[in-house]
Amino acid sequence: MTTLAAPPTSGSLGRTVRSEWIKVASIRSTWWTTLAMIVLGAGFTTIISGVVAGDIASGKSGDSPGEYITQGLIFSQISAVVIGALVVTSEYGTGLIRATLAATPVRSRVLAAKAIVLSGFLFVVGTVTAFLGYFGGNAFFSNKGIGISLGDEHILRSMFGAGLYMAGLGLLAAAVGLLVRHTAAAISIVLALVFIIGQVVSLIPGTFGEWVMKLMPGNAGPGIVVPVSFGDNMLSPWTGFAVFVGEIALLSLVGFALFQKRDA
Amino acid sequence: MIRAQGLTKTYDGKVAVNGIDFTVEPGRVTGFLGPNGAGKSTTMRMILGLDAPTKGTVSVNGHRYAASPAPLREVGALLEAHAVHPGRSARNHLRWLAASNGIPTTRVGEVLELVGLDSVAAQRAGRFSLGMGQRLGIAAALIGDPPVVMLDEPVNGLDPEGVRWVRSLARQLADDGKTVFVSSHLMSEMALMADHLIVIGRGAILADSPIQEFMAEHASAYVRVKAPQTTDVEALLVGRGLDVTRTDDELRVQGLDAPAIGELIGSHGFLLHELTLVRSSLEDAFMELTADSVEYHARTEVAA
Ligand SMILES: Nc1ncnc2c1ncn2[C@@H]1O[C@H](COP(=O)(O)OP(=O)(O)OP(=O)(O)O)[C@@H](O)[C@H]1O
Ligand SMILES: [Mg+2]
Repeated sequence: MTTLAAPPTSGSLGRTVRSEWIKVASIRSTWWTTLAMIVLGAGFTTIISGVVAGDIASGKSGDSPGEYITQGLIFSQISAVVIGALVVTSEYGTGLIRATLAATPVRSRVLAAKAIVLSGFLFVVGTVTAFLGYFGGNAFFSNKGIGISLGDEHILRSMFGAGLYMAGLGLLAAAVGLLVRHTAAAISIVLALVFIIGQVVSLIPGTFGEWVMKLMPGNAGPGIVVPVSFGDNMLSPWTGFAVFVGEIALLSLVGFALFQKRDA
Repeated sequence: MIRAQGLTKTYDGKVAVNGIDFTVEPGRVTGFLGPNGAGKSTTMRMILGLDAPTKGTVSVNGHRYAASPAPLREVGALLEAHAVHPGRSARNHLRWLAASNGIPTTRVGEVLELVGLDSVAAQRAGRFSLGMGQRLGIAAALIGDPPVVMLDEPVNGLDPEGVRWVRSLARQLADDGKTVFVSSHLMSEMALMADHLIVIGRGAILADSPIQEFMAEHASAYVRVKAPQTTDVEALLVGRGLDVTRTDDELRVQGLDAPAIGELIGSHGFLLHELTLVRSSLEDAFMELTADSVEYHARTEVAA
């Protein structure tokens, strides 16, 4: 038998991060969902670009290629939400949370490690998806002579912005997961927030409605993803993202407080 | 060593564990015995800091469990609820556990072999049978080679061979000088496994003694006497200062051995239909001890 070396004398975030990464990477659903994120995101961007390229080139539509070059990422949001929620809720569904906290009793460290692994992973996958979509979609635009260069204004920001936004969305779902501790509930709540409630609030009349709409996480956050904004009724990219980050921070704090207090 | 002092847990006003004190010593197997809902699992969760005590404290090796920088190297626990993700393989389950506490990955293979799961290590845990799941849980408990091992109902779902394996494992761990704390709701199992017994019922400690002592004290024997002139015989025996309980036509006598009781009754000219020495089993002792503290009695009455 291996005689174990002397046990470490202090806890370490690095060990917990490694452990959380093994967890995420050793579940098949992580990889299926990631594949869906890439294929849907890059695939739809490519298809949409192919569809609109002709009209933009002929000047029939007044749009610009930049409005479409990250369009498919709308679908990738679903995967980010699923992966984010599962990082927390799969532990409650299975009772695994007890093993996790028995292994690492410092709860803040567990959450920090989960946040690091989740946001790091989604940042990379989100960014890769955006680049693949760019290359796919831009092939059509270039073909019509209206191609965008990576050096063009806002393009790189939107590529890495996609990574940042996906990471944020995952963290948002994880925070909601801490509150409800149930997979289906967490995913439904965040998807409804992003896809439905974010649109429905636009029905609220007046400037109040306008502001509510602007501040919804699914509207404020993705401003940094699109190189050319679709509508004018949005916050500026980085202001919007700051609001989005603030909302995540707030939810995470509430989630953390509950996680710290509740029995596992 | 595990030490609980005034340990209390209340869930929404309902007391699950009620101010218990106990110490679990190293070098022996301590059984934690109690009927369903007695508070065994709750106590174990509090030991691991998973549930916060409402009152009181519990320490492992002299400190709070959560204060340990690498707790799996100090305490290994098999918990009641299978704390395993069904989609993760046995090996990967042990890998993340090892990584979290700075345990070398070579140890993963060792514990897999130790519990006999090495051939199915790559299979998803969700496909495991109940018994295989228990083995994986025990492997997880042993991954850090901890001096304290705590097993909540480890023989649940195991076949006879598996039960015997757990028994000998517990024995071996204790012989190695480790602290072994095993819960069960089966007295018969504890009688075979434990050196020391802590009995819990409705959140209170009912007994805390070496198993031999517990048996001597609680598994009492009596002599069953059946005689046609029940009342006269009863009077005779009571007159001799013996302890007699009457149920219908049967007398339960304590304080004298069977031959002496038979001679006494015969010498007074009474007929004797039955004279039997009855040893109540440990299971009976346990039932008797916890009779008032069983939370869920089965209803066996049938409407007339
Ligand atoms: N999380 C919880 N919330 C509310 N009540 C609980 C909780 N956990 C346990 N209880 C209650 O506390 C009491 C003790 O339960 P516990 O699971 O500790 O018993 P046990 O001795 O392990 O029983 P068993 O042999 O059935 O496993 C029971 O009445 C149970 O219903
Ligand atoms: Mg239990």
